Formats: sequence, structure tokens, C-alpha cells
Amino acid sequence: MNESTDAVLDERDRLRDLLVAVAGGDARAFENLYKSTSAKLFGICLRVVKQRSDAEDVLQDVYSTIWRKANLYDSARASAMTWLAMMARNKAIDRVRSGGVERNSATLDLADDLHDMNPTPTAAAESTDDNKRLDACLGELDVQRRNLIRVAFFEGATYEELASRSGSPLGTIKSWIRRGLLRLKACLER
Amino acid sequence: MNTIADHMQEPPEDIDFAGEYVLGVLGAADRAAAERRIAGDASFAREVADWESRLMPLIDEINPVPPPYALWPRIRAAAGLPADPRAPATQVRAAEPAGFWQSAQIWRWLTAGGFAAAAASLVALFVVPQIAPPPVEAPASKPLVAKMVQDDGKSLFLATVDARLGTVVVQPTTVDIPANRVAELWLIPPGDSPHSLGLLDPTRANAVVVPKELIAALGPHALFAVTVEPPGGGPGGKPSGPIIAKGELSLLL
Repeated sequence: MNESTDAVLDERDRLRDLLVAVAGGDARAFENLYKSTSAKLFGICLRVVKQRSDAEDVLQDVYSTIWRKANLYDSARASAMTWLAMMARNKAIDRVRSGGVERNSATLDLADDLHDMNPTPTAAAESTDDNKRLDACLGELDVQRRNLIRVAFFEGATYEELASRSGSPLGTIKSWIRRGLLRLKACLER
Repeated sequence: MNTIADHMQEPPEDIDFAGEYVLGVLGAADRAAAERRIAGDASFAREVADWESRLMPLIDEINPVPPPYALWPRIRAAAGLPADPRAPATQVRAAEPAGFWQSAQIWRWLTAGGFAAAAASLVALFVVPQIAPPPVEAPASKPLVAKMVQDDGKSLFLATVDARLGTVVVQPTTVDIPANRVAELWLIPPGDSPHSLGLLDPTRANAVVVPKELIAALGPHALFAVTVEPPGGGPGGKPSGPIIAKGELSLLL
């Protein structure tokens, strides 16, 4: 069931070509891009914005922006999927920062390994070299920092939200995450 | 791994602002400041792009969730594109290679849930379509209904289907979904794998718009099932959690 590297690269190229065509105003390419990526981007929005109707508004904003600003995509800098996924995350995070949106306030037990956030065995088996490297470097962090970084990334939680949900002082949370980021970067650049 | 130093405030020069921005921990004002720097400072913009690439593998862990079908016409209209009368191209499901869930796998999934009582009817679902005539399409005037029941026969959801419009109204009764879990609705055409119809709010009636390519599957003997899934839905667009309720579509006569 493992996808071959070729298939992954073909898909990357296909999305890049679609995005380039969208930048040129190709409506058919825009529809194909939507069909290829909207479920993933909606999943990303829903992790940050809990209310479905809010997440739908964010997704609409994401694709409207893609249609208008696809020309800003630089294939030398990032893969098409990275550009799309990060735009969806940023718009979802901006939406929750603007207020009036339900936030996850569930208690975080940082000492506990967050099992349900770990990749499924299938996903692990299919993971690429980049995934394995990030996984290994996250694995070098202690469990609190790893959990904080994962929750922050998936939910777009602020330092303040993470402090209140975990019952830890804000300064400690900031210190853990900042140091965690530095270590992560150093590890990934080794 | 914890040291005293971990608990002290980092000196400012050790703050990786681009990393904080991409991770998503900044408040509104700091995010706005970061976005201004991205626009005006090429080296900062490059740091942001580097962090995005570094953390991108985490995105693989996020489950795709099909948006409601009605969203595409909204987006198309917002983009100023004309409505397109032709049938849409077949949905491309990047994260779900075609044929991944073959009937043997769906069989395992269905039986793993522990409702052996339904085995006989399920066998019929998979076997009959090959020897029986193709199911007759539901007349537009006759709605389909499905009562989704749990193992003990208690009814959890009532679904009313308009197969012509491709809409389903799902009315829950009293449904308890564990905290940090969601209810996901699946359509399982006879002999086919489950297709997600999206997440259900267990506290109110849900209007579900069925993707066009699945509308033809809305007929008698198709199965609706509701599973309990992690936030965002079943990983890879496939059911992973226990089935809490299921029911076969039938004509409301």
C-alpha cells in the first residue's frame, strides 16, 4: 500500500502545475485544485476552528485568496501543498484570534503522551524522509515540550491558552516552547 | 531532560519569532507584527518559509474532511466564476487512493465493531448485488429513510434522504459522544467501501449535502453508519472508531 516516491512527486508536480494555471486565471484548474485539496484544507481548518460553519467560512476565504493571489506562489520556496496548507492554517488562526469563536479549552496533561495525536501505524509506514526526521527530532524533546509544540501547531493555541489549559505558569510555557523550537531547528539542520 | 535552565526565561535573542509565528502561539498583535515583517523583510520571510517546510510533515497527521458540497458553488460565485452546468469532474481524493477499502477490508471493519447479529444481512449486502438485478432508482417523489440504531436496537439517528437533490437530514435522538471525539456519518453503498458524508452535530438536526458522485448510491439497501472519530474525522477519510449506529436506507412507502 506504500505509495512510491514517484507517485508522491507526480502529485506534487500536478498540484504545482494546477496552482500555476490558477495564477493564469484558469477556472478549470481552480476547480480541479479545489477537488484535489479542499478535504485536506478543511481538515486543517477544523483543527483550529471548531465550529463547522466558521471553518466553512475560513475555507471559502482560503480558496478566494488562492484564486486572486496564486501568482504569489513561489515554487522555488515551497511545495504547492505547503503553501496551501499554511495559508489555510494562517487564515484559521487569524479567524480565532479575531474573537467570537469557540476554542478548545480541554485540560492538557503535558506529562502524558498524547496518544491520539500520534500518527496511525499506516501513516507511519507511509511517511516520507521529512516526516521521519521531524518525528525523530520531536522525539528528542522531552514529553512536555513535544506535547506543547504539537498542540500549538494543530490547534493554533496561544501561549496563554496553553498555560491555562495545562495549569502551568505562562513563563514556563513560553520558555519550554521557545527552547523546544531552538532545539528542533538545530536537530533538523544537523 | 528537564534542567533548571529550562524553567528560566529565555534571553530575547534566543526567541525565534518566525518559528513562534508558524507554530501558531502568537496573539493577534504579534501575528500582525510578524505578517508586516514577512511583507517587508525578505530574510524574515525566508525564515518563515523554512519553518513552514520544517513543520509541514505534521500536516500529514491531519485527517482530510470533505467540505459540504454546497461550498464549491459559493466559492465559485465569490471568485466571480460563472456557474458551470456540466457535471463536475470525478472527485479526486488525494489522501485516499481508489480501491484502498476493498470489500474484504470493509467486512473486517464492520465485523470488528462487534455486531455479529447483523452479519447475515451484511453478507447479503455484499453478495446479492452480483446476482440480483441492479437496484431500482428511487422515484423522486418517494423519500428514503434510514433509522440508525445501536447494537441494542435503540434508535440514535433518523435520516431522511432526498435522492433527487442529494440531501440528507439527520435528526439525532439522545446521543452521547465522548469529549474530544466527533460523530462521523458514512454512506456504504452495497458492496462498496464507506464514504464520508462529514461530521454530525449530535445535538441538533444536520443538513447533509451528498457529493454529486455519491448521489447515485442513495438507494434502497445502501447503509448509513455513524462512527466515533478523533477531532476532524476518521484518519485518511476512512472510519477508524467504533460504529455507534447504523441503518439501511429504505423507501418511505
